[in-house]
Amino acid sequence: MVTCSADGKPNTTVISQVYYVDETHAALSFQFFSKTIRNVRENPRAYVCVFDIRGRAHWVLQLEFQLSETEGPIFDAMDMQIEAIASMTGMSGIFKLRAADIYRVLSVERLQY
Amino acid sequence: MDFIACNTMIPGKIVRFLEQYANVAFAGTRDRDLVPHGHNVCGWCVGADQRTMTAFVPEEFTPGLVEALQENGELAVTVEEFPSHETYQFKGRYLCDRAVRYDDVEIVDRIRRRFVRSLRAIFADVPEDVLNAFVSKPSLAVEFEVREIFLQTPGPGAGTRLIPPVES
Repeated sequence: MVTCSADGKPNTTVISQVYYVDETHAALSFQFFSKTIRNVRENPRAYVCVFDIRGRAHWVLQLEFQLSETEGPIFDAMDMQIEAIASMTGMSGIFKLRAADIYRVLSVERLQY
Repeated sequence: MDFIACNTMIPGKIVRFLEQYANVAFAGTRDRDLVPHGHNVCGWCVGADQRTMTAFVPEEFTPGLVEALQENGELAVTVEEFPSHETYQFKGRYLCDRAVRYDDVEIVDRIRRRFVRSLRAIFADVPEDVLNAFVSKPSLAVEFEVREIFLQTPGPGAGTRLIPPVES
């Protein structure tokens, strides 16, 4: 995921989960990345690349931050998935969902390789 | 105001991480409208003086990259070892770009072997050629001066600036 501060510094981070909300919205897991959180509150644009290893493709999403949810059905579903991802990758007790950040999807592009 | 000193040196411990353990990376830039863009990085190397890095970018992630770097010079590269998740982010200023050379391709080949080895446990049923293809051939080499290094390994210290150290 790439964001950019108001003074023009890009920030790149690895995120655990991109959650499908509906045709025009995605939710990203907010766990540790405080710089990302600060950036999207200053400058709401974000770039996410999702890897599809089996499909030999990358999915590129251009997003715009809308709001942060700390409870509700989206948060609960993501929290459960984060637990599963943490368990699979040996990160139980370290991965902890603080919020589900909801973004509007501006564009989606598939890059085949 | 740009207050970061320009004599940042990458510590030996992090150089060893980059050269021997790290196996996946991604770069971020931004355009003149502060819209962020991402660029997959298939390989990297540290300059002899430990003040610069070179990131190798596959063809499909080069559109807009050099234009953004020539316009504002800002580059962030995050490098991770999977599955340990040890991760560092390198922020710096663009110096130059060039076509890849034979020795760059050898570096990417080594990283591809490390990456595929690390994925085997999770993607046991996926053919070797599919895993190999994930680390694309490099097309462009981008050299940049490292000015800041951040710890991004998941945990309470994630986001801490390591270099230059944060004054308490």
